[in-house]
Amino acid sequence: MATLTLKKIARDFSDGRQVRRVLFPTDLDFAPGELTVLSGPSGSGKTTLLSIMGLVLRPSEGRMFLDEHEVTALSDQEAAAIRLKYYGFVFQQPMLIEGLSVAENILLAFAVQGDRLPPDARQKTATFLKTLGLEGTAYMQPRLLSGGMKQRTSIARALIKDPAILLCDEPTSALDAESGQAVMRILKGIAVDEGRVVVVVSHDARVFPYADRLFTLENGTIVSDIRENYIPEKGDAP
Amino acid sequence: MRSLTAFRMVVHDRSSTAGALLGVVAIVFLVGQQLSILFGLLNYMSVLVDHSRADVWITSANVRNVDAGNLISARYIDRAMGLREVEWAEPVLIGSGLFRTSDGSFESVRVVGTRRPRLAGGPWQYYKGDEQALLDVESVTVDRLDLAKLGHPVLDQVTEIGDRRVRVGAISEGARGFQGTLVFAPLDKVKEISRTPLGRYSAILVRLNPHVDKETALSLLRRVLPECSVYSSAELSRLTRHYYFTETGIGGSFGFSTIIAVLIGVVIISLTMYTSVLGRSMDFAVIRAIGGRRRDIAVVVMSEVLIITGIGLFVGFLLLATLLNATSGSSIPSYFPTQVPPILAGGTIVVSLVGSLIALRVALKAEPASVFH
Repeated sequence: MATLTLKKIARDFSDGRQVRRVLFPTDLDFAPGELTVLSGPSGSGKTTLLSIMGLVLRPSEGRMFLDEHEVTALSDQEAAAIRLKYYGFVFQQPMLIEGLSVAENILLAFAVQGDRLPPDARQKTATFLKTLGLEGTAYMQPRLLSGGMKQRTSIARALIKDPAILLCDEPTSALDAESGQAVMRILKGIAVDEGRVVVVVSHDARVFPYADRLFTLENGTIVSDIRENYIPEKGDAP
Repeated sequence: MRSLTAFRMVVHDRSSTAGALLGVVAIVFLVGQQLSILFGLLNYMSVLVDHSRADVWITSANVRNVDAGNLISARYIDRAMGLREVEWAEPVLIGSGLFRTSDGSFESVRVVGTRRPRLAGGPWQYYKGDEQALLDVESVTVDRLDLAKLGHPVLDQVTEIGDRRVRVGAISEGARGFQGTLVFAPLDKVKEISRTPLGRYSAILVRLNPHVDKETALSLLRRVLPECSVYSSAELSRLTRHYYFTETGIGGSFGFSTIIAVLIGVVIISLTMYTSVLGRSMDFAVIRAIGGRRRDIAVVVMSEVLIITGIGLFVGFLLLATLLNATSGSSIPSYFPTQVPPILAGGTIVVSLVGSLIALRVALKAEPASVFH
C-alpha cells in the first residue's frame, strides 16, 4: 500500500497575459485505508489538486512523494508508467470507450501499454462485474448500460489492476441518488476493507458521510480539515 | 489490446471508416487504372520489338524509337550473318498505306513486312487463321481489335492497301501499335505498298546463337556495323517507351492524373481520420490518464489507419481486377505487370499513413488532465 504526500504544492495558470494562482501552497498526506473527500465550491481548486495528485498535471511549486519516491517532475513516460502501476481513476462521466465492450473497457486498463493480459485478467473482470452488480454485461456495449452501470464499470476499470491509489472526480454527480449511494458504498469498502488511498472530489453533501477525512477548499486554499469523528451527518453513513 | 481497441474503433465509427475507406479505395482504384492504361500504352509503344523473337535490332544510326528509323541497306544482313555468334538475321520493312474498308472508305494503317519463311517480326498470336497465311504473297493479317475500324473484314476477303491488292489471310490477336493499326504482310507486298527502293529495309532482326554472351555479340555487331544503331531488343524497347513517354506528353499527363488521384485520396483520408480522431479525443485522453503513453495512442491511431488501409486495398484491388477483367481483350489499353500491385499497395500504405498525420497530431495532443472537470 502506498502513501501520497504533498508538500507546499501550488499551481499557477497563465492566459498569456497574466498568471493566476489557482492552488496556493498546500501540505497534504493521504494514508491507506482512508476515504478522503475534497470538497468546495466550483473553481476552488479541487480538480486542479486532484489532477496534480494523479500525475496528469505538474505543480508550479512544491514537491510530491509516492511513499518515499519523489514524483513531482516526472517525464511523460515515467508519469504514465506510475499511473498505470499505482493509480486508478474514476471520472465525473464514466468515459467508457464506445466500440469496446464492457469487459474490454475494463481490460484496457491492463493492456493500455500493449502488454499481454495477465492469465487471470478475464476471470478477475468477471468477478468484478459480479461484485459490482454488472453480471451479464461483459459483452454489452457501454451505450446499452444505465448511468449507474456505466459508472460502476468505470470503477471496475479503475480497480482491476489493484491500484494503491484511487482518485475519483465527482463520481456521483451524474447519477441518481440511489446509484450515487451504491457507488459511494463501493468506494468506502475499497478504502477501508482493502486498505487503499481513496480520494473523492465532490461538492455533493451526500458524499460527506462516507468520508474518513474531509477537506474543504476555497479559492485555492484548504480552509478546513475535518477528521471522521467530527464530520456532520456521519450518523447517516451506512 | 491496442490493436483490438483500434479495430473496435474502426468498426464502431462506421461513417468515418467508410470515408477513410473511400479515400484508400480511390487511391488504389484511380491510380491502378491510370497505371494499367499507362502500361497498356507502353506495351503498344514497343509491341513490335517486344514480340519480335529477335535478340538484336539493327536500325539506322541514332534511332530514338523503333518507329522513327531511316531505311538501311540489305547488305548489313550479310555482315551480321558473317559473325559466328549470329544464328539468323532477317529484314523487316515498316511502311504505311490506306486500307480500303468494306464500305469503300479508307483507314490509315502501318504495314509491317516480314520475310518468308521465318516471318521474324510477324504476328505472334492469332485469333483466326495462322502464320501460314503470310506465306502467300497476297495475304495480310489484321488485328481482332481493329476489325470494327477496318469495316469487319472476314478471312479471305480481298481488299486494297495503298492501291495494291491484298487478301485477309489471318486475324492476329493483341498486335496493336501506338502509332495506329498494324497490318502484317509478306515483305514483297510491303515493298509494293510503300514503294520502297530495292534492297532497303527498316530494320534487321538478329537472333544470336544459344549460349553466346549477348554483350560480346552486341559489341561485335556494333564494330562491324558502325553506320547503324545496334540494340538489344530490351534496349530498343526501353528506348522507344522512354521516347514516347517523355516526348509525347503521355508521361506528364499520366503523372499529373496520378498525382491528382493520390491527392484526392490523401485529402479524403486526412479529413475523415481527422474528424474521427477529433471525436475520439476524450477517449485518447482517458487512455493517457489510465497509463497510456503517447506512443500507445500513436499505435492505436496507426493501427486504425492500417486496418482501414488493408480493407481499402482489398476492395480497391477487387474493383481494379473487375475493371481489368472487363476491359481485357477490348480496345482499351490495359495491362498490369505483376510487380505493380505490391508497389501500389506499399505506396497506398505510405500515402494513408501520411494522410493520417494530422489526425495523429490531434490524437497525441490529447491531454490526460482534460478528463477531470
